[in-house]
Amino acid sequence: MGLVASGKAPKPLTKLLNLGRKYSLWMYQWGLACCAIEMGAVIGSPRYDVMRLGVIPFPASPRQADLVVISGTVTDKMVPSILRLYQQMPDPKYVISMGSCANCGGPYWDSYSVTKGVDQIIPVDVYVPGCPPRPEALLEGILLLQERIGNEDPALRWRGDPIVVD
Amino acid sequence: MTPLSSTETDTGAEAEPQPDERREAWAARLADTLGDGYEERHIIPSSDLWVRLARDSWVGAATAARDQLGCQFFDWLSVIDWLPSPFGRDMDAQEDNPEPKTADPTEQGHAGGQTRFQMVMRLYSVTDHLGVTLKADLPDDDLTIDTLIGVYPGANWHEREAWEMFGIHFNGHPDLRNIYLPGEFEGNPLRKDFPLLARRVKPWPGIVDVELLPGEEGP
Amino acid sequence: MTAVGADQRQQLAYVATQAADARLNVEIETEGMTLNIGPQHPATHGTLRLVARLDGEQVVEAEPIMGYMHRGYEKLTEVRTYPQVTTLINRIDWLGSFANEVPFILAAEKLMEVEAPPRAQWIRTALFELSRIANITLFLGDMAVQLGALTPVFMAFRDREFVLNQIEAVTGGRFHPNFDRIGGLKDDLPKGWINDTKQAMEKIRDFCDEFEELVLGNEIFQARSRGIGIVPAAVGLSYGLSGANIRASGVDWDLRRDGHEALAYNHLDWRVWTHPEGDSFARYWVRLQETREATHMVEQLLDGLPSGPIMAKVPRIIKVPAGEAYAATENPLGKMGYYIVSKGDLVPFRVKIRSASFSNISITPWLLKGVYVPDIITILASLYFILGDIDR
Repeated sequence: MGLVASGKAPKPLTKLLNLGRKYSLWMYQWGLACCAIEMGAVIGSPRYDVMRLGVIPFPASPRQADLVVISGTVTDKMVPSILRLYQQMPDPKYVISMGSCANCGGPYWDSYSVTKGVDQIIPVDVYVPGCPPRPEALLEGILLLQERIGNEDPALRWRGDPIVVD
Repeated sequence: MTPLSSTETDTGAEAEPQPDERREAWAARLADTLGDGYEERHIIPSSDLWVRLARDSWVGAATAARDQLGCQFFDWLSVIDWLPSPFGRDMDAQEDNPEPKTADPTEQGHAGGQTRFQMVMRLYSVTDHLGVTLKADLPDDDLTIDTLIGVYPGANWHEREAWEMFGIHFNGHPDLRNIYLPGEFEGNPLRKDFPLLARRVKPWPGIVDVELLPGEEGP
Repeated sequence: MTAVGADQRQQLAYVATQAADARLNVEIETEGMTLNIGPQHPATHGTLRLVARLDGEQVVEAEPIMGYMHRGYEKLTEVRTYPQVTTLINRIDWLGSFANEVPFILAAEKLMEVEAPPRAQWIRTALFELSRIANITLFLGDMAVQLGALTPVFMAFRDREFVLNQIEAVTGGRFHPNFDRIGGLKDDLPKGWINDTKQAMEKIRDFCDEFEELVLGNEIFQARSRGIGIVPAAVGLSYGLSGANIRASGVDWDLRRDGHEALAYNHLDWRVWTHPEGDSFARYWVRLQETREATHMVEQLLDGLPSGPIMAKVPRIIKVPAGEAYAATENPLGKMGYYIVSKGDLVPFRVKIRSASFSNISITPWLLKGVYVPDIITILASLYFILGDIDR
């Protein structure tokens, strides 16, 4: 992929690459609290069925994942594990923060043991609000992420530079 | 609580509390067994029973409850910190006209108490379907009490929790370690003088709205 | 499978632990190995971490490490008003949320000396049972997954939606209704709800019948769960096990029947299911029967629903008189209770939350001694815990 990383790939090729990436997202589930069940409904329930969007929810380890969904309350005790998970994922990697707790602490905004938002430790691409968000909301979040991936310049992303979305 | 069907007719009977013989008998048995260790009791008829003990009778009372009263079921164990919160009353902004309130430091709940920390334990009999709440005061300068693991092995984790949350030391507990919080956490969160820093930094925004009850007109 | 008495079972379990110790010391001179499961592992459904010291395939010592979901409920209730507390405690056992509210509201009602009107009590009970169904259906699918069958969990998610729809139709929330109020309920039932719910109950009964054959009748499932993780009744009680876990050990105790709380259970015709064996299979079996029983209870509740108001007279701003009260109910996971200490303020002075899973899971160090590694998963799954309910 020297061509892509150097930024000299022609535009149609980038489009094609992005199309491929956005419809084969391997999603790692980091289910923490109530939201994990709604995420489970997205994955397991025939009514919502995330696989029709081109998301594969069963990677064996974070090293094979493109996307991680942090769903639920992040506690201070859990922070090292999440950091390690994120470091293990290969670039390009994406994070969806699902639910109020992962977004900002939610109902536990004043608790002594809860981290007030997962974005304090890892960068987040899409925030899904709600307590817990409905399964449809998570699907919408995934669609937004796919839109973002479709418009990305892989060269920038693979060099690790900040992402630019137009 | 009384069963549903008696709600209409019950109002007259509630005016005179009926003596609760079964709970009276339980309290009397504990008093007989423990002697000086038994301090006070409080009974709400057909509802609940509280017994306050001396600290030294803590394990003895649990044994007596298990062997004589048939309380096989270990419900829970915890601590109450009776210190009035040094940070004031957080929710006063919710009230339309908060009346000034003087803290009453002697008010220590059912069955009384003298010190700041009070142990509470709940035991239950699955055959009689009765429960008892046992309490014991801890002296302020010596926050230790004997462990209950020998009587109820399930007390293990509850005691670890009490140790972590209140800093109570349990004599004879094999494994007093943090149960919830990461190792580097400082302080005992459930003590009344432990501040919730997020609230100190950003005060509660105050009264927003109060939900109307069904059938009630808006203001 | 020969039937063994309670004493004998205890003896067997004891022999197994002794054998494990002896094996470590004498028979094989292997170096112990430490196996870490979690904190994020599908088998722990949530964030429980388990550190097991192994000798070959056998567990010598296992220790659950929790706190990864500790959110400080007991402290936070001290800075929330009573109506705000119900919002918070919804999220303790997140699968059966409405059931979390009920014991708290009952304890507060005890202190305030109000009682909900009959209609509110009946609807409360119906929603309580619906929460139970929503909770346990997922268990029925989940435990099958842990034992190597993937399909049941999809079916559980599918049929659970019917119940969630009904809860949502009344309360507006799929998961966290926050519907119970001190003195009654927020709203009455919507039109047409009763018929829809009865249809949903039919579907859940079909689901139960299907699972009875598909999972319970399955040879592989039986081979992997029978005789695994036997809990003797006396040991279970001393560890504070409650709910279906202790009923599966033959203890005939159900707070719905034996408790004295203001709910409509004593107007219904139903039975408490127990199982004498006390193993993982028994725990699954009891929960399956209870789910089916709950559908019948909901139907009876809807048929006999009294008319009248749904809210008792309570002041607009709720101040609970000084005192202490404890109320406990039979929640989907077991006995859940709230011990409220009030000093007459807007906020509780202290709330002790007795959650079922915390006690249920505290038996694991005892229970996992001497079992084989694959059985760890079976036993954890069959004890059925929810992390929010352990860590609070």
